[in-house]
Amino acid sequence: MKRARRIGMIAVNFIREQRWPILVLQLSVLGLAALGLLSDARSDRDDILLTFKQLGMYGIAFSIFFGGSAIYNERRSRRILAVLGKAVTRRDYLTGLLLGVALSSGLFCFMLGFTGTWTLCAIGFNFVYLWYLMLCVVAACVLSASVALFFSTHLNPWMSAMFTGLTLGVPGVLAYQFGGFWQYILPLFSLMRVFLKASYEHPGTSAGWAIPAALIETVILWLAAGWVFARIDVAVAVD
Amino acid sequence: MPAVLEFQDILKDYRALFRRRTVRALDHFTLQVEEGEIFGFLGPNGAGKTTAIHLAMGFVRPTRGRGMMFGKRFGHAATRRRVGFLAENVALYHRPAETLVRFYGALNGLTGETLTRRTREALDAVNLLHESNRNVGKFSRGMLQRIGLAQAIVHDPDLLILDEPTSALDPLARYAVREMLLDWRRRGKTIFLSSHLLSEVELVCDRIAVLNQGRVVRLGRPTDLLESKEHFEIIASGVSAANIPGAETSTDGRVLVHATAAEQRGVLEKIWSLGGEVVSVSPHKRSLEDLFLELTGAPGSSTQAGSGEAVR
Repeated sequence: MKRARRIGMIAVNFIREQRWPILVLQLSVLGLAALGLLSDARSDRDDILLTFKQLGMYGIAFSIFFGGSAIYNERRSRRILAVLGKAVTRRDYLTGLLLGVALSSGLFCFMLGFTGTWTLCAIGFNFVYLWYLMLCVVAACVLSASVALFFSTHLNPWMSAMFTGLTLGVPGVLAYQFGGFWQYILPLFSLMRVFLKASYEHPGTSAGWAIPAALIETVILWLAAGWVFARIDVAVAVD
Repeated sequence: MPAVLEFQDILKDYRALFRRRTVRALDHFTLQVEEGEIFGFLGPNGAGKTTAIHLAMGFVRPTRGRGMMFGKRFGHAATRRRVGFLAENVALYHRPAETLVRFYGALNGLTGETLTRRTREALDAVNLLHESNRNVGKFSRGMLQRIGLAQAIVHDPDLLILDEPTSALDPLARYAVREMLLDWRRRGKTIFLSSHLLSEVELVCDRIAVLNQGRVVRLGRPTDLLESKEHFEIIASGVSAANIPGAETSTDGRVLVHATAAEQRGVLEKIWSLGGEVVSVSPHKRSLEDLFLELTGAPGSSTQAGSGEAVR
């Protein structure tokens, strides 16, 4: 119980420290939705759907940014020392950060889904499918963040982002070319394909096992990140 | 007394990820800190003091060797509940002082009424209770150091590890911290104190270790370390300073002679042969600064090594 409380505190602390970018993201979604209301929604319905999809992609990009810079920022500012100087294991700390990124992504997707209900659903998009897509985006965000967090245990944010891109991109290319087994290896591509192909006319395409696969692989990445993070010198600046 | 903190033949090398050059921060570093003592840790910049502290806290891992804290390997998270740590450059989250100290107290498992009471007590101990609602981001460096100390003591630890705890404090605050440390020792707590303020270390520490280039070069009680066995101070009366080479007349009219151990007998015989009387012969006492300069190889020091445990 105390452990869960500590992890929760680290997660909330992460959100608090990242409150400005999170707030800007939320407001941008809200602002664009408000603009959508002002436009002629019926004639601009494809533009509105495209904007919605773009925002979903931004969510993933920001998850990588949050995940890739979380540890680096704490190490560079040396604030990590006061936290890890307490009865906090490195794995708990990492779990708190991942939970913080997941909550930030969840908050973003909730806002995107919420605004989507009074923009997209008003012009014919399926309500249930909209929230299913949000689930895909959350799973994609958490998966991307866990890859970025894994690399950020020992690399700076730029290197971390680069390796995250490669790690997520290569299975995506293989899944695109060969399909089958590759769809479930870091299934960002599978999740985003469903999201990007969504349309008013053909709701119902699902990601199959991609969501559970993403969550299972997130756990594996979290375990791997914890293993690496337990073995590095946190008091040394990352080059 | 049982060792609270124990470094056992530790080597620590730093190497960047893509570079070949390694830097040895600690070189066969061995040290024991006993329960209930204030242990002073001295050394020039780059001597390895902070690395040793970071090893003890589990922030870095030894290249070779091992260390124990309260009988557990360094890095054992549950053991850190008994430890209060203040880093050299205090870096804390920007939020109201009380909220911040509560946050760190809660990370160490404090809850409810205990957390509230201990937070208030910790803020009071560092004289920041009246600033409890002010954001730490607006604090001066001295106040930051005090709030850092508050987060280190909020959970009433058995061992305090302080890296330069008073470097940014004014004399009044420094005095208050010194008194606090002495009070903590009276309560049976152990304090591991790294500091550049030699006078302060001399005043409060039970034992001192001087570190240079990653090795402990001197270890012992301040009195033992500062008393020289090779240099003596001889005070005599009834003779003229002019008759004894190197002697000087003190303000009370007595003659003061500084002599090495080899010269001591000759000087005493000279005084007696001149009909004088030897008032006292005492080991020459150096300042900690003299000892520090001598051990760390700083130029301009003429004194020689005294007693205490020389570790090479």
